[in-house]
Amino acid sequence: MDVSEPIVHVEGVVKDFRAGFGLRRKRVLHGISFGVREGEIFGFVGPNGAGKTTTLKVLMGLIRATAGRATILGCDVRETAFRRYVGFLPENPYFYDYLTGREILRFYARLSGVSKARRDDRVEELLGWVGLTHAADARLRTYSKGMLQRIGIAQALVHDPQVVFLDEPMSGLDPIGRMEVRELILRLRSEGKTVFMNTHILTDVEMVCDRVAIIVNGRICHEGAINSFLGEGEPEADLVLAAVPPEVSTRLEQEFAATLRGHGDRLEVRLREKHVQDVLSAVLAVGAQVISVTPPQMSLESVFLQAVEEGE
Amino acid sequence: MGSISRVTAIATNTVREAVRNRLLYALLFFSVAMMCAGIFLAALSYVEGERVLQNVGLAATRIFSVAIAIFVGVNLIHKEVDRRTVYTILSKPLTRAEFLVGKFAGLVLTIWLQLAIMVVVFVAVSLLSGAPLDTGHAAAFVLIGAELVLVVAVATFFSAFTSPMLASFATAGVWLTGHLTRDLRDIGASSQSEVVQSVTAWLHRLLPDLESFNLTIEAVHGLPISAADVWLALAYAAGYATLVLFAAIAVFYRRDFR
Repeated sequence: MDVSEPIVHVEGVVKDFRAGFGLRRKRVLHGISFGVREGEIFGFVGPNGAGKTTTLKVLMGLIRATAGRATILGCDVRETAFRRYVGFLPENPYFYDYLTGREILRFYARLSGVSKARRDDRVEELLGWVGLTHAADARLRTYSKGMLQRIGIAQALVHDPQVVFLDEPMSGLDPIGRMEVRELILRLRSEGKTVFMNTHILTDVEMVCDRVAIIVNGRICHEGAINSFLGEGEPEADLVLAAVPPEVSTRLEQEFAATLRGHGDRLEVRLREKHVQDVLSAVLAVGAQVISVTPPQMSLESVFLQAVEEGE
Repeated sequence: MGSISRVTAIATNTVREAVRNRLLYALLFFSVAMMCAGIFLAALSYVEGERVLQNVGLAATRIFSVAIAIFVGVNLIHKEVDRRTVYTILSKPLTRAEFLVGKFAGLVLTIWLQLAIMVVVFVAVSLLSGAPLDTGHAAAFVLIGAELVLVVAVATFFSAFTSPMLASFATAGVWLTGHLTRDLRDIGASSQSEVVQSVTAWLHRLLPDLESFNLTIEAVHGLPISAADVWLALAYAAGYATLVLFAAIAVFYRRDFR
């Protein structure tokens, strides 16, 4: 395979679902196209219901595209044999909860064609890798959500795949769980794996992804390197203030082009990052309180929100 | 070799899952209870008490085994889809055909295991009551086992594309009609209408002829059973179940897991 050729290639994929019992069909994917390059972490971003999971299911052969073509490692996704090189973690994965962590990994290893001689070593290696050696003999029904997510990642990697697909890998996890999963994803990249990640959590995308595609209402709106998104537009910051006199509020709007939203005596202010110092000086001078200052919003969020607005 | 290993992995896990189903134990309990109740029914009979006992025993074995095959069978695929375990399984280098055959094989193994328990109870009850046991009884149980394979295949077919409720009604319907197709054909043949003759003849050809697997009368009354009849019934079960499984696989391949 040519190095410059995308390892995952989606071209003009359309998916229609039957709506109800009639012949009426609903189009969920409108001819989407994008590519994922070898060794990168690719973020597939979109609001709920945008078509992220449908796209992933098309790639995993769980649903069939109505039209278009999708290939992974040069093989049509409707084939089976290439899945030896592909790992998949679905959203909120469920596993046979009467099995232990070790048993479930052995089961998936067997399905994935890992040789009997290698199976046990690989399972132990992965249990250590995802930090579940201590819980290897506990039944999955006793696992926390974070532990299930980690065992899910382990099953996706049990056959040492080249490409790993993760559907909302951080969804529903607490901050520690999210950090752990984020670290696992970054470790995958350092081991040379290609990672395709579906998510709607932009901070996760900014922290781990190399490239991003934004999907809204079944259409790809943007695709490019994460840096190109972060460089777009002017960064913005959010302030929360209290006891701000009305005349100062008016000044913030007029002089600093800030957007204001009031909640009781609190005022939420969104403004350009370059005005933060001036605004803080102005409000502190009149005795107002500064409750919080949120760091500049990355423009990925701006691009994302704009894409969603345009898409709707 | 890889394919066999994958099918075996699915089948083994299916057995593990099926034996956790409480419904299986409930039905098994009722079946055993009914066989034991046969002792009292036999005692109430003026003549041929042993035959009443064995008639009840074989009927209980057939009916409760079929009930287990239907109620456990129709849920197996549905559960995998409903709980989304199918997503991770089918993302592995495993074809949908291997998955379905593995589920089918696992369920057949489970049903045969419970059949073996019923056979043990039947033999024990017969020995305790002094009822005769011979190769006819063995043949009757072997053909019940074959009939169950067919029922499991039909349950797998329906569960490949419809809800457990519809699948259980449809499978039970096929089983009931399957035991009546010979009578239907005979009634149709004596009809004046060519349409009725043709429809009943086609129904007999299309639906499984499950009376081929019923040797209760021969076994209980010690009537001769030809080896050819048994082999023919076994070949029929294998052929019919294979065809139904092919149909199930074809349907399952077209299914979207939304």
